[in-house]
Amino acid sequence: MTERVVALVTLAASGLYLTLALRMPLGTAARPGAAFYPVAVGAFACVVALVSTALAFRRPAGGPADAPESAATERRQVGLAVATLAGFCLLMPWIGYPLAALLFIGALLRELGAAWGVTVLTALLSAEVSYYLFAILLGVTLPRGFWPH
Amino acid sequence: MGPIDGLIYGFSVALTPGNLAACFVGVLVGTIVGVLPGIGPVGAMALLLPSTFALHPATALIMLAGIYYGAMYGGSTTSILVNVPGEAASVVTLLDGYQMTKKGRAGAALTIAAVGSFVAGSVGVVGIVLAAGSLADLAVRFGPPEYFAIALAGLALLSRLSGGSVLHAFLMVAIGLALGTVGMDPISALRRFTFGSVQLSQGIDLVPVIMGLYGVAEILLLIEGGLGKTTIAGIRLLELFPTREEWRRSWAPIARGSVSGFVTGLIPGPAAVLSTFIAYTMEKKVSRTPERFGTGMIEGVAGPEAANNAATAGAMVPLLSLGIPFSPATAILLGALVLHGLQPGPLMISERPEVFWGFVASMYVGNFMLLILNLPLVGVFVSVLRLPQRLLATLVLLLCLVGAYSLNNSVLDLWVLLLFGVFGYGLRKLAVDPSPMVVALVLGPMMEKTLRQSLFLARGSVLELVSRPLTASLLLMGAAALIGPPLLGIWRRRAR
Repeated sequence: MTERVVALVTLAASGLYLTLALRMPLGTAARPGAAFYPVAVGAFACVVALVSTALAFRRPAGGPADAPESAATERRQVGLAVATLAGFCLLMPWIGYPLAALLFIGALLRELGAAWGVTVLTALLSAEVSYYLFAILLGVTLPRGFWPH
Repeated sequence: MGPIDGLIYGFSVALTPGNLAACFVGVLVGTIVGVLPGIGPVGAMALLLPSTFALHPATALIMLAGIYYGAMYGGSTTSILVNVPGEAASVVTLLDGYQMTKKGRAGAALTIAAVGSFVAGSVGVVGIVLAAGSLADLAVRFGPPEYFAIALAGLALLSRLSGGSVLHAFLMVAIGLALGTVGMDPISALRRFTFGSVQLSQGIDLVPVIMGLYGVAEILLLIEGGLGKTTIAGIRLLELFPTREEWRRSWAPIARGSVSGFVTGLIPGPAAVLSTFIAYTMEKKVSRTPERFGTGMIEGVAGPEAANNAATAGAMVPLLSLGIPFSPATAILLGALVLHGLQPGPLMISERPEVFWGFVASMYVGNFMLLILNLPLVGVFVSVLRLPQRLLATLVLLLCLVGAYSLNNSVLDLWVLLLFGVFGYGLRKLAVDPSPMVVALVLGPMMEKTLRQSLFLARGSVLELVSRPLTASLLLMGAAALIGPPLLGIWRRRAR
């Protein structure tokens, strides 16, 4: 089932890419335009996606390509980790790197089952040390937000 | 500059304090990364790439390459001691390496692996000097059609050799090529697939993609696998020395592995991993007691360990001589060179000899450092595994975030990192190798440029292009790589 869904999504994406590519100037064989190469890539992608979809629907659903299921707890932790990463990406430009890093480390460690004491200490240390290492020592421009200097 | 003069010059560059320090940092980080499950050498190279901006190009290359071949040493340590391959290229080593540990011969296995890797690395350096120079001389005659053909043939071969279905590999190639078209058209400056975003006009940066696919995705898989503890076999310094019999049985596999590994490294694909399987199979075939493989045969450790280190050297040849990376690791090295304003290719040897020869000589120095470091400090490296995995996972993710942001101070790179992290996780669940996508993303812009230049030069005549001998040969090689194996299978079935 997963394989069929993925194949259909790939086919749709390839079709969309090719459609968008065809809106650009194609040029000629002697003077290829901006769309020449993307159209070639899009056509290749569509052919491969079509063959892949056809094969996916020929195979019985739930075939050997499906990976073994993992426990619900671990899958939940993966989902929470992704959500925490997304939270960092959303918040960092507003609240600055040090606070975002502190919240990120804290949230993720708690999700992974660390004790409160370890979580708070690690989050504080990691945020401060990583800011010092990257922003001060290596000269990377990281937004400071409300973090005191 | 001849090979001998070049190497002497290279050592004078590699042995400066700054380059020695960079080499040391690279091999140390590489060994630790190789020991740790989760982030591999490609993810680590991508993480450290932003921190090399302020370094001299030769220094940056030395450090990043040190991570790559250092990880081969580290990965074998956990394979032998813990029955867990720290790196994909160390999977084969655990077949006999861990069995040797169970028999109390862990030290011998580690020593042979380290010495074998050092010998293979030295052979690899000689190979680079000979092969890169010759290939560069040939490549000076390459024009746009030849570069397009070699990239296309390389992608075809990569699709055939990367694990899993060829169709999946083609899909990955298509995605990589498509991603490479995002941004400004190099000739007309027309914005393509940017949806009005100014940041997307610069294109999609390779580094966050690689960090996502090989860093974030691996950590997500580690979290899903359950963050457990690792049981580690203890080892004493006195147990490190192999017996005379073990040395005698190891030299031939090391020699064979060095040569076969280097040759495997020249071809596109997961060279280090492939080389270990080829070496192991070869040792079984030439052995008088093949049935004993898997029970603790020293040949099963010596050959593959030499092969994977020689393959990392072989993989550098297309990058240094042609400027074409055929693997994600060499793609990162190409990215480093481009970031420092260098154009790798046949002219780099003559125009920037300090970079080329310094890098080649540093590989020998780095292998020597690894030989010295890995044996006495094996206990220290393995103790890294005792760190709580949830702490390691969290810190690695934070490093990925900072590393991605620091490239362009762009939040877009953070979202690219996250998107490809989730995508990479999904690919692993579907047992699809992302390497073809990464290589296609790197080669795509070059392929477009050379294709359009070729058609312009030939006034649109494709026949004129494919009639060039080198171009035709390369395209035939690519076609043979793709359709050869299925045709051979059909012919064999009919012959039966």
